[in-house]
Amino acid sequence: MLSCRDVVRDADLLLADELVWQRRLSLKMHLLMCSHCRRYVKQLRTLIRAVPFMHSKASDEEVSEIMDHICASENKDH
Amino acid sequence: MDNDQLEQLKRGNQKLFSQLVRDHHHALIALASSIVGASEAEEVVQNAWVKAYKAMAKFEGRSAVRTWLSRIVINEAKMQLRSRKREQLFADMGDTDDNHDALADRFTENGRWHKPSSNWHVDSPDALLMSADLEQCLEQLLSDIPANQRAVLEMRDSSGIPFEEICNELRISASNARVLLHRARAELFKLVDHYQETGEC
Repeated sequence: MLSCRDVVRDADLLLADELVWQRRLSLKMHLLMCSHCRRYVKQLRTLIRAVPFMHSKASDEEVSEIMDHICASENKDH
Repeated sequence: MDNDQLEQLKRGNQKLFSQLVRDHHHALIALASSIVGASEAEEVVQNAWVKAYKAMAKFEGRSAVRTWLSRIVINEAKMQLRSRKREQLFADMGDTDDNHDALADRFTENGRWHKPSSNWHVDSPDALLMSADLEQCLEQLLSDIPANQRAVLEMRDSSGIPFEEICNELRISASNARVLLHRARAELFKLVDHYQETGEC
């Protein structure tokens, strides 16, 4: 029988669909019975999907600096 | 990004390219920083943007644009390391004990939850990390966790780079990469869970 700690350790593999079927079955059985682990897996899935949004957008100044750098490089090439 | 925008980008539309810079620049800085360090990350990403602009016409859209840009940044970062004669990306990790797992103290001795996660008020991924307070805490957290954890988190979860490619790029084993990703996610989870519970970092 898997413990909650085992579920948390394996949740990454579960969400990546990389668990062998026996382990996946054991984990799913545990999830049927444990609301804490169900919530954890659901929250982890949301968190992983949120990571690409965790960086703020660049400021106007930063964008201008990059675009100026690109223009300077283009001018140098021609 | 729709097909029409992609075509315009490939034809050199500067306004759309500026939008790319706005959307992805900080994520790319974070990625580069995990490989070459914060002091050289700006230079690496600046050079990567120039290369991306020149190569834009060849972008076929087979991967997400963030993934494509990230690959350019990784190549640029590795070139930077080579030019500095720094072969080692970062020390590989040897231990895999639970002392480094941010959620280890949430369990009893027999492995059951001692402190389960709280109920989160936000369900949608894009809203979850959108608070200005949390943004600052996240930046702090990312600068505090080891570079190897940060690199795997940025590459896998932020840039969408396949796992095998990450192992090759960072020259680490798949099992180590899994542990690093788990630890980084556990740190992030602990921070967000605490924030959702208390409204503070």
